[in-house]
Amino acid sequence: MADVKTLEHSTLKVPYELLNKQFRASQKIIDREASKLNSSASELEKKLHDPSLTIGDVTSALTTMVDNLSMLKRKAEESIQEELGASRVIKRRLAHLQERDTPGIKETMPPTWWQKNRLDRMLVEYFLRAGYYNSALKLAKHSNIEDLTNIDLFMMSKEIEDSLAKCDTKPCLSWCVDNRSKLRKMKSTLEFNVRKQEYVELIREEKPLEAIRHARKYLSSAESGQVSEVQKLMGMLAFSSKNPENPYGDVFDMSNWQKLVLQFRQENFKLHQLNSTSVFTATLQAGLSALKTLHCYKDDANLRHPDCPVCSTHLNELAQPLPFAHCTNSKLVCSITGSALNEHNPPMMLPNGRIYGLKALENMAAVNDGRVVCPRTREIYHVDNIEKVFVM
Amino acid sequence: MDACWAVDKELERLFEKYSSATDRTQKTLDDFIASLRSFINELSERTSDELITEGARASVVEFIDRAKSVSNSVSTCHKDLHGSVSKLGKTIDRNFTSDFSSVITEGAFDGEWRQTLLNEVICEHFLRQGMLDIAESLNEDASLELSQERKEPFLELHRILEALRQHILEPALDWAERNRDELNRKKSPLEFKLHRLRFIELIKHGSMKQIEVLQYAKKLAPFAELHTKDMQLLMGSLLYLNNGIENSTYSFLFEDSSWIEICDIFTRDACGLLGLSVESPLSVGINAGCKALPPLLSIRQVMQSRQVAGVWSSKEELPVEIDLGQDYRFHSIFACPILRQQSTEQNPPMRLTCGHVISKEALHKLVVGNTNRFKCPYCPVEMTTAETKQIYF
Repeated sequence: MADVKTLEHSTLKVPYELLNKQFRASQKIIDREASKLNSSASELEKKLHDPSLTIGDVTSALTTMVDNLSMLKRKAEESIQEELGASRVIKRRLAHLQERDTPGIKETMPPTWWQKNRLDRMLVEYFLRAGYYNSALKLAKHSNIEDLTNIDLFMMSKEIEDSLAKCDTKPCLSWCVDNRSKLRKMKSTLEFNVRKQEYVELIREEKPLEAIRHARKYLSSAESGQVSEVQKLMGMLAFSSKNPENPYGDVFDMSNWQKLVLQFRQENFKLHQLNSTSVFTATLQAGLSALKTLHCYKDDANLRHPDCPVCSTHLNELAQPLPFAHCTNSKLVCSITGSALNEHNPPMMLPNGRIYGLKALENMAAVNDGRVVCPRTREIYHVDNIEKVFVM
Repeated sequence: MDACWAVDKELERLFEKYSSATDRTQKTLDDFIASLRSFINELSERTSDELITEGARASVVEFIDRAKSVSNSVSTCHKDLHGSVSKLGKTIDRNFTSDFSSVITEGAFDGEWRQTLLNEVICEHFLRQGMLDIAESLNEDASLELSQERKEPFLELHRILEALRQHILEPALDWAERNRDELNRKKSPLEFKLHRLRFIELIKHGSMKQIEVLQYAKKLAPFAELHTKDMQLLMGSLLYLNNGIENSTYSFLFEDSSWIEICDIFTRDACGLLGLSVESPLSVGINAGCKALPPLLSIRQVMQSRQVAGVWSSKEELPVEIDLGQDYRFHSIFACPILRQQSTEQNPPMRLTCGHVISKEALHKLVVGNTNRFKCPYCPVEMTTAETKQIYF
């Protein structure tokens, strides 16, 4: 099931990343509760050295310990339930992928309902990536695939994007903190860029002192590659933002916020191991390429086929930059009936060189006193004048 | 399905680990809480301002040690799960392809104009499937300006099909009458088949409606020439009108398959008249892509590992032949069996006098000297180039 293997990585990997995140969060919670228990134990240990220790002291200390223990128990239970919940999402999706195959039959096309479902899943993802949230939600609901698509992830991302678009950095920064270790591994510049934007805004508001304080706090730890950038930013202090000839005009451009939105979206994809292109786009490109023939681009409209996707106006345009299908073996189709030309329906040549299937010509001749009309040139021949061709 | 199976196995293992870890943690904690509680109870039998005894002191020390080891073990117990969790991630990575950027034509769908084209294709796909609210929503989200005119054919098609699925014939009959001339030109059996179904619905009522049935039969008369046999069958069923057709040899008339057939015929004819494809182009394209992507990816991987990427980096053609099967073949492709190349306008297929077909270039390579004569590479027939004939598939 090569298609599942190739196309469904993100279907499983995204919920896995969420499980992994949940695991780390749980570990933190459990560790915190465990250390609380530890410290109350150590406290009691210290008290033991006191010779005037009463039973009342001990019971109250031990009761605290019991409370700590119950808390630890509850938190551990809750955390593990969360993790199991996250794992069940993977299980559910896996089960759906496995429904692709009818048991016992190998290497066939998936059932039609499954194919339709797959297309809908791809479209939901494509919509989410493009920011068409309404359509994505509606489609997922309509096709009942909410738990098979990564809607939650994108909705979370939408909130942050929306806030960035409104020049609010808080949600994005707290996201950066949540994912700091991973972002560092990816060498992400997102946090730096957000801080930089905050600095720019302070200057725009003519609050140079606050800007310097901000820069000292967040920008001084810049990595070596960013030093010149920081210097440039500091240079801005020498100019007034109101001055129309400010050499830093581009830094003040409000479109920088939009850039931050895009950068955030990219990094969020990377963090969750999503490709930068959607599965939908990749698949459609591969499909159009595999279907794209020279005939689809000939001027003669007769050579276009109404059922061929690449021949349809819009997709024809879209497929323009894509490679053609590679073909080393002849594949012949009767242009009258659309059926294959082979030993059961051999290709026949009319005297004008046009090739059609024997069946189509015979059918035409049967109702036409043995005459056949070439659909392309309208020339009329007798069926006795058609000749065999052999295509190896 | 090995890939899914491998992940499933790992996932099951993880569930097992989780349940055993939870059990262990719960038991450790419960045991400890129980023994602490009973000790507290024991102590509270005494008055609380009494000094603690040496014996009790020793037990408290023990409890402290145990508390430390319990807190440690609960934390480690959860930490130990990490191995299984990350193994699941690695199994997913190993069994599924995470990156297909190598087979993508960068920027092919970029730019506002292309984006709009693609979104319109998607929108039409939804319209065709009757998912009107989603089409509407996309129209808004992607700020498409799909005119009512473009939508109408899809909407009508869908309305009629939906009615047919509920065994309502009027909209389809109405449509067929309006388009009778064009349908006749295509020799479409649609209108006859629709009347036939109406007729069958009438005879279902038995002899009560005999007069109506006979009157309706007149409507069928214009189609008699092309559908003689079907007509005779329909009229023949009247013999059994009194005794119940469902018990006669004509019971097949009531089978549901005719309704499925009429939906197919209608879709085909209507799409043909409206200039639409029978299947949604988007579905066809995507299904083809699902077939094409795996071999494309694996050839790219081989090319990268053998470092021959430069040799086949042609953007003109895919690096491998992908056989999508008959359902996805819309155009005849002739590939010269000698040059193993697709024919082009400059290098068209030529039929030799013996009937074999080779490309023009291959043919010229076979000619010896300036004799213009050559032998068919597949059979003993000899001929001159003038005797060959260009053909068009």
